[in-house]
Amino acid sequence: MRTVFKYLVSGLFASVVATGAVAQEQDKALDLDQLLKRLEQGQIAQNQQNERREQEFRQKVAQQDQMLEQARQERNQKLATSEQLERQFQENEYKLGDMNKALSDRMGSLKELFGVLQQVAGDTKSKFQNSVISAQIPGRIEFLEDMAQSMGKSSKMASIEEIERVWFEIQREMTESGKVVKFEADVIEADGEKEREQVVRVGSFALISEDDYLIHNPATGTISELVRQPADRYGDSAERLHESDGELVKFGVDPTGGSILGLLVQAPTLKERIEQGGLVGYIILAVGAIGLLLALERLFTLSIIRAKVKKQLKSDTIKQTNPLGRVLHVRDEFPDADTETLELKLTEAILAEVPRLSRNLTIVKIISVVAPLMGLLGTVTGMILTFQAITLFGTGDPKLMAGGISSALITTVLGLVVAIPMTLLYAILNTRSKNIVHILQEQASGVIAERAERS
Amino acid sequence: MFFMEFFEAIRDFVESGGQVLLAIGILIFVMWLLILERVFYVFIWHKNYKKETIAKWKAREDKSSWNAEQIRQAMISRVSLKLNSSIPVIQALVALCPLLGLMGTVTGMIEVFDVMAISGSGNARSMAAGVSKATIPTMAGMVGALSGVFASTWLNRTSKAERTHIEDALPLDH
Repeated sequence: MRTVFKYLVSGLFASVVATGAVAQEQDKALDLDQLLKRLEQGQIAQNQQNERREQEFRQKVAQQDQMLEQARQERNQKLATSEQLERQFQENEYKLGDMNKALSDRMGSLKELFGVLQQVAGDTKSKFQNSVISAQIPGRIEFLEDMAQSMGKSSKMASIEEIERVWFEIQREMTESGKVVKFEADVIEADGEKEREQVVRVGSFALISEDDYLIHNPATGTISELVRQPADRYGDSAERLHESDGELVKFGVDPTGGSILGLLVQAPTLKERIEQGGLVGYIILAVGAIGLLLALERLFTLSIIRAKVKKQLKSDTIKQTNPLGRVLHVRDEFPDADTETLELKLTEAILAEVPRLSRNLTIVKIISVVAPLMGLLGTVTGMILTFQAITLFGTGDPKLMAGGISSALITTVLGLVVAIPMTLLYAILNTRSKNIVHILQEQASGVIAERAERS
Repeated sequence: MFFMEFFEAIRDFVESGGQVLLAIGILIFVMWLLILERVFYVFIWHKNYKKETIAKWKAREDKSSWNAEQIRQAMISRVSLKLNSSIPVIQALVALCPLLGLMGTVTGMIEVFDVMAISGSGNARSMAAGVSKATIPTMAGMVGALSGVFASTWLNRTSKAERTHIEDALPLDH
């Protein structure tokens, strides 16, 4: 911005101060001449410096020779040391070989034993980690881990006591897996609180507290209550077992050692399921709620009307509060009319009553038909999303696809859940309103005739 | 002892079918209750009512005036209304059976896919529970619908035939 301004100003003043410009030209020329001179002087200075350095170098030649000699001596010394070390290394190699041979000769069959011991210790450790018996007997997993590691190094030998302890632990696991034992342990409750509780262990299959199934976490070695318990009768069977004093009781066991119980926790609840339905699911539910309200209102009114009509059929006094009464009132309005006129008037009165009886029924019917269609729509859109995900990530992960499909199908379920009661309600309401209309159409004139005969 | 076994077999069947099967069971029970009520009505109460109506008509002297015609119409209408009550509801229940079966199918399939989503593989043993929850209600719904269709058709035909029958039994004098 500033430069532009400058140029403008200079442009404005250029014409005015032409003579000044000439003076500037002369200045520049002078500067260039000076630069040339300086360059010449600089070169002269450089040459002088180079000469000085050459002189210094010649003086130092003797010193350089001395340094070279020193370096050579050092190298020879190092070579000698290296040769000596290599000789020693080879001797050591031979010694090591001899010693190893002696060791394996002395160990003989023990070598194989230790190999087997290491393998068994490793296998047993992983078995103990997944076993619920570890919740009752602490410390054995650590022992086996140390054992397997030290055997792997082969620098340390296992003592007789240690070998016997491995045997003892395997034997103890076997014996304990056939017992039902009660013991005290820290249990992590469903709300995260830790509590000391009486726990019953059933062989190597299950852990229960008073009426809840517990689960043993191999990674942390803790016992925690299952967040979602199985059906009530299994909980009752757990309670019976907890309270029994040695008599036989029926008890539900998870033979997989906890993995089936673990699946319970992962199954979504009803609320989560409805949320999976998404927008379409909520729309279906809203439509269903509207339909239900309309249907209940109709059910209530039609029941009242039906009761009143039945009462009117039996009584002699005409009340104008019900459809039949209003139709019968036509006779009193036109007492002198002939039969044809009367019939026409009756038909008119009946036609006026019909819409009031069958109001909103079509809406209920439409909802019962549309709800499954909406469910289908939700399912199809859900499927489209799932297949889009598959297009992006490939079919390598069946979890992705299966989860998507199961949440897509929820809307179909919601649609059916709405449609089924709606269909039923429509059938009931339709029967009621039609019956009342039938009474009006087929019996009103008959009732009038009967009254005429009696009077 | 035999009853215990019987009860346990039923309980296992209901459990493997899931909650939808229970709903279908209740639906079929209600449906057959209504059907049996209708059957008893047709064979016992309806017969008496028909006799009463015919006797009442025969006792009349006047069988030709407009009044008589209207009264006859009302009598026929009352008989057929009593005969027809709850037949449409039975028909709706019959139509609902396959719908509920379909719902069972879908919920069962959802369970199958849930297991797949959790375990990440098509392990047949873990999916078996969902598959049985999908197929058993479907079968139950079909059984209910098939058994109900015949009954409701028979009831419909009977009520129509009875209406024409009673119309013939109440003659008008011209």
